[in-house]
Amino acid sequence: MFKGREEKKRPRPSHIRQQERFGFAMITPSMLFLFVMAAFPLIMLVVMSGFRIDLTYPAGNRWLGVGNYLQMVHDSRFLHALKVTAIYTVSTVFLQVVSGLALAMAFFRSFRGQGFLRVSVLLPMILAPVVVGLAFRTMIMTPEYGILDYISMVLGFGSKPWLVDPEWALFSVIIIHTWQWTPFAFLVFLASLNALPSDPLEAALMDVRNAWQRFWHVILPMIRPAVVIVVIFRTMIALRAFAAIFSATGGGPGTATEILNLYTYRESFNSLNLGYGAALGTTLLVITVVISMIFFRMRESRM
Amino acid sequence: MAYKKMPLWLRGLRSGLVFSLYVLMILVWAFPVIWVIFTSLKTRTEIFTLPPTIFFKPTIEHYIEALLAQDILRGIINSLLVACGTTLFTLLIAVPAGYAFSRVRFPFRGRLSFFALLAQMAPPIGLIIPCFLILSRLRMLDTYAGLIAVHMTLTVPFSIWLMITYFQDLPPSLEEAATVDGVSPFNTFLKVVLPNVWGGVGVTAIFAFIESWNEFLYAVVLTGSTTKTAPVAIFGFLAAEESRWGPFTATGVMIMAPVIMVALVAQRQIVKGMTMGATKG
Repeated sequence: MFKGREEKKRPRPSHIRQQERFGFAMITPSMLFLFVMAAFPLIMLVVMSGFRIDLTYPAGNRWLGVGNYLQMVHDSRFLHALKVTAIYTVSTVFLQVVSGLALAMAFFRSFRGQGFLRVSVLLPMILAPVVVGLAFRTMIMTPEYGILDYISMVLGFGSKPWLVDPEWALFSVIIIHTWQWTPFAFLVFLASLNALPSDPLEAALMDVRNAWQRFWHVILPMIRPAVVIVVIFRTMIALRAFAAIFSATGGGPGTATEILNLYTYRESFNSLNLGYGAALGTTLLVITVVISMIFFRMRESRM
Repeated sequence: MAYKKMPLWLRGLRSGLVFSLYVLMILVWAFPVIWVIFTSLKTRTEIFTLPPTIFFKPTIEHYIEALLAQDILRGIINSLLVACGTTLFTLLIAVPAGYAFSRVRFPFRGRLSFFALLAQMAPPIGLIIPCFLILSRLRMLDTYAGLIAVHMTLTVPFSIWLMITYFQDLPPSLEEAATVDGVSPFNTFLKVVLPNVWGGVGVTAIFAFIESWNEFLYAVVLTGSTTKTAPVAIFGFLAAEESRWGPFTATGVMIMAPVIMVALVAQRQIVKGMTMGATKG
């Protein structure tokens, strides 16, 4: 009787319980940290979005319910920021994937002098985005004295309003982001091309004569998982973009390059309107979550 | 191999094209960086000379001017403190977690590791609004501890995931002998497992350091005159004096220098760490 109760008390052998205790002990510091510094603030962000929190006039702070969101629907600057974010995200991801894939295909199986090229393409990715943005704003895209504008003039295209004209500015910040991050797509695609098993690849390539068909019908299906991953990674990063645009154009001219991140920043920390800023931030959170859920589904169903 | 069947002249043409592309790529990606370095070493008149000069007598006057500007020297020191602190505390909590998630069995393991992945997706601007309010209530704005804690929300999730992949590569039998001998799990981790992943810990440290060293949004919101980091200082400097490209590029080079040196030494490992998550996924 006594023995039986003892056995019920510990259904698992002691070394397994020790393992479990050890496992929990090892993850507790980081999980506690992420809960306090990431999960809790995000809950607080959603709660804050229901309030009017204006640091310039604290006496007027009060519960608004969905008031901030109602204001958002009629806020043309928000709708504009949403549009700019969509254009920026879709075009940078598209350009990175297409040019990264094209370059990886060109170097596939004839890659010499890897080290030097690897360092060159690694550089943009590890540089501070604020330095990149400022360098483009001054030495590269300044009319006449910027080296890119100078090259454009020498080649006969003439001086361009890179960051001054609203449409050119959006184009330029897309180019800056693409410049900085195409190497990532290139390196991932090159790694997955080199990891393909060579025998089935050779056999399949033998059957198809046309180079374009080879790429489209043989190679692309084989590296589709890598393409999906790059699209996911880069979309998530493009949605977080801030420092490079902030330092290159500051969202301008006017609001031409003001993505949602920049508008949220200005509303929260320039106008000190934290409640409305929190509502904008919550919207961004929802967009991120929805897009990542779609991506997870896509990956599961296709792979 | 289809390539071998090509006639010689076609192979030659192909190699020539690939080589020109190779040169073009190096130009496109390395040139802007080299141009920043060149500009930082030119005199003020030479910076604004057209056509731009490639051969010139280098000068370090802009470096001296930049370092004498209080904000910038202080910013570099602050950045160093914050980045080292972030790296140290990140490793302290992320390496054990990576080990437990990859090699110890316990309930809810999958769900908790997924939580760590989710934390990485949080939009930074959404996180900084409540963190700003919390830290201001705690009177921790413009403190190293505050900025390090917020930087760690960026570094801890990816460090856990990077460490998981390094621990997974170890042979499953590694801990068995120690367990049979009655060594405690923690000592096994410390003395048997950890010495096998120092390389992985090093790569994780590099990524954490670079992330914190380059970070701008959190730093610009949370820091003031005492803890302003280098990226915030250089932004303030250029915003105030738009045309002073010399000191600006000199500061830019000083911000880039540690990262470039790390890239030269550990390029292979960095590229592997960057692409690993994507190719293994």
